[in-house]
Amino acid sequence: MAIRPLDAVRIERANLWWRIGSLAPAVIILAALSIWPVFNLAYLSLADVQWASGAAVVEFVGWRNFHELFTGEPVFWAGVRNTIVFAICAVTLQMIFGFTMALAVRRASKLGRNVLTAIFLLPIVIPPIVIGAMWRLLLGRDFGMVNFIFASVGLPQIDWLGDPQFALMSVIIVDVWHWTPFVFLLTLAGLESLDQEVFDAAKLDVKNRWQELRYVTIPLMMPTILVTLAFRMILSFKVFDEIYLLTGGGPGTATEVINFSINRVFFAQDRVGMGSAMSLVTIIGVAAMIVCANLVVGRRRKQRTEA
Amino acid sequence: MSNRAITTSRRKTVRRLFTGLSIVAFMASPAAAQEAKTLRILISQSPWLNAFVALVDEYQEETGTTFELDVTPFGGMVDKMRNSVRAQEGSYDLININAQSLAEMYAGGFLTPLKQLDANFTLPEGVLDFGSSAYWNATTSSFDPAGDLYGVPTNGNVLALYYRSDLYEKAGLDVPQTWDDLIANAKALHNPPETYGFVSRGTRESILFDFSPTLFSFGGSYFADPENGDYSVTLNSPQGLQALETFIALNKESGTGNPAALEQAELIQLLATGKAAQGVAVIAAVADLQDPNKSIVTDTIETALLPAGPGGQHASVAGHWMAGIPTNTPEANQQEALKFLKWFLEKDTQIAYVEAGGIPVRKDLADTKLAEDPSYRFIRAFSENADVAKMNTPLKEGVRMKEVISLYLNRALIGEISAKDALNGAASEAHQVLSAAGYKLTPPKML
Repeated sequence: MAIRPLDAVRIERANLWWRIGSLAPAVIILAALSIWPVFNLAYLSLADVQWASGAAVVEFVGWRNFHELFTGEPVFWAGVRNTIVFAICAVTLQMIFGFTMALAVRRASKLGRNVLTAIFLLPIVIPPIVIGAMWRLLLGRDFGMVNFIFASVGLPQIDWLGDPQFALMSVIIVDVWHWTPFVFLLTLAGLESLDQEVFDAAKLDVKNRWQELRYVTIPLMMPTILVTLAFRMILSFKVFDEIYLLTGGGPGTATEVINFSINRVFFAQDRVGMGSAMSLVTIIGVAAMIVCANLVVGRRRKQRTEA
Repeated sequence: MSNRAITTSRRKTVRRLFTGLSIVAFMASPAAAQEAKTLRILISQSPWLNAFVALVDEYQEETGTTFELDVTPFGGMVDKMRNSVRAQEGSYDLININAQSLAEMYAGGFLTPLKQLDANFTLPEGVLDFGSSAYWNATTSSFDPAGDLYGVPTNGNVLALYYRSDLYEKAGLDVPQTWDDLIANAKALHNPPETYGFVSRGTRESILFDFSPTLFSFGGSYFADPENGDYSVTLNSPQGLQALETFIALNKESGTGNPAALEQAELIQLLATGKAAQGVAVIAAVADLQDPNKSIVTDTIETALLPAGPGGQHASVAGHWMAGIPTNTPEANQQEALKFLKWFLEKDTQIAYVEAGGIPVRKDLADTKLAEDPSYRFIRAFSENADVAKMNTPLKEGVRMKEVISLYLNRALIGEISAKDALNGAASEAHQVLSAAGYKLTPPKML
């Protein structure tokens, strides 16, 4: 039966209301839980909150918190620098190790694949608090297992967590150990979904495994790699638990990171205004990074399509 | 049955009923008077928790008052406390507040002045107030005995000197009276990696606490006259410099080699395993060091008064806990909480507290049966250190001050900056922070 034009308009309108009605609760909840807190954060970043006679006294201070943040909070900026170093080093290593592990598992036999997957995934299922305790026991100066092994082969003891030269590197090693399985899992899923026929066809052109990897696997895996990279970058900017448990941000500012600074200012020092300003600057920084990454990915995709 | 007999029977029935009701009423009235109350207490999951629980059980047995203890890890205490006292209706009738947060709680107006609940209540003779930290003067914003009484101490944690009597005996050493003596002892006993001559904490979290006794005993201070509300920063004085240089020398020359990363757990581990010959640690560490399941030096680890500075002045630092009664809790509960605190401070209760593993809050226990028992030989050192204990950053911006100063001290300890630059930098930044917060200050004189 043909639908008359008037009915089509009615159906269209009903569909529109249905779409609005069904999406509205989710949009309202999202706005309430995500957007409103950001606006609240922005408002608080322009205020100073003090407590007197058991009540909060909120004073509007304009840009004062931001001025102080950019001129008088050296620890926060040391944290920004460390976070960037941490994110670049840790994520690069995780991407290399994770992808290599995924390639190894894909080429393994069924039994080997199951065993290797179980072993590789182990670190990601261990709770962070256990990871902190475990690595403190391993890296401790006097009672640590690593220094015990060093001493037994005649190497000097290293203060992995207490020496400013080694502390950040140690935390990066722990993070790489912890999060490489995440990269492994995502890239393995990506590899599994690749069309085998492409590889079969490519056998005519490539001379060895390296060429297959360089000219077939990596280009095909690029979308998965980029998404995984973006995920890991965002997550590595959120690093907190490992630092808190292993070094407490020290010695000096050697392992201070952004989230640690925010936690200290917001919760320990109870400086809500400054903590909000720090959080807002971080949100804007990370958002800018995501936008840049999207632009780069978009441009690459466009270039590839044109090619 | 005759009418008379019926009347007699009725009378008997009425009399029985009356007697029965009287008995019920008699039994019911005291029950109502003794109706069990419930006290809700926020308490840290610290080594003294079990001792506190033992006392709570005893009080419950004596009075029928029941307790709900919210046992919280140290790191979460401040948040829970803030959330409760800032709410319309609080979750706790009593909150245990660490020394560091006392000023914030007092100055914020979250606690009930105890004299408001009982006009005659004062801290009994013999009870320690740890640098007047039970009182707050809102006019001068300082811990001042002339101010209002807000807190009752619940755990007397102070820093003390720990040393190994067997190693002292073997090397022919005496208990150090001055920091120079301590340095000399440390050098004599330093034989790394088997034995470290001296250990103390130097992380950003703890360095200010552990450095404070050295600073105070050298005649230095953080602020000009905190008791009277003058918070002009005085840390970068010649005495302060001498104290910091001594602290660094002691830790670097006779320490573990990583003092800037040494935390409490590792420090206690070094003492308990016999790897450290001497150290500065909280008196609460005694519980672990005298526990044969955790320590191999139970009989040879001793405690003493911290050494004196060049002027003969001894000093320790207060890391105690105070209980406060929030304003946002019903008055009946507040009264009940105060009743419990009064009982808690009694001398007999304090003896039971020590026997259960707690650190007392009275300094007059040295003449009790505890003094004769070798297990409680730390009591004398505790009393002596508690008597000279001061608050390190006694103002409501204390946590921020601690973080500002600690970072500079920690950087000096790892050799990133000189002791002089650390003190000048810390003083300058602390002055800036306090000036911005509205304090009227004299600018610090740079070294």
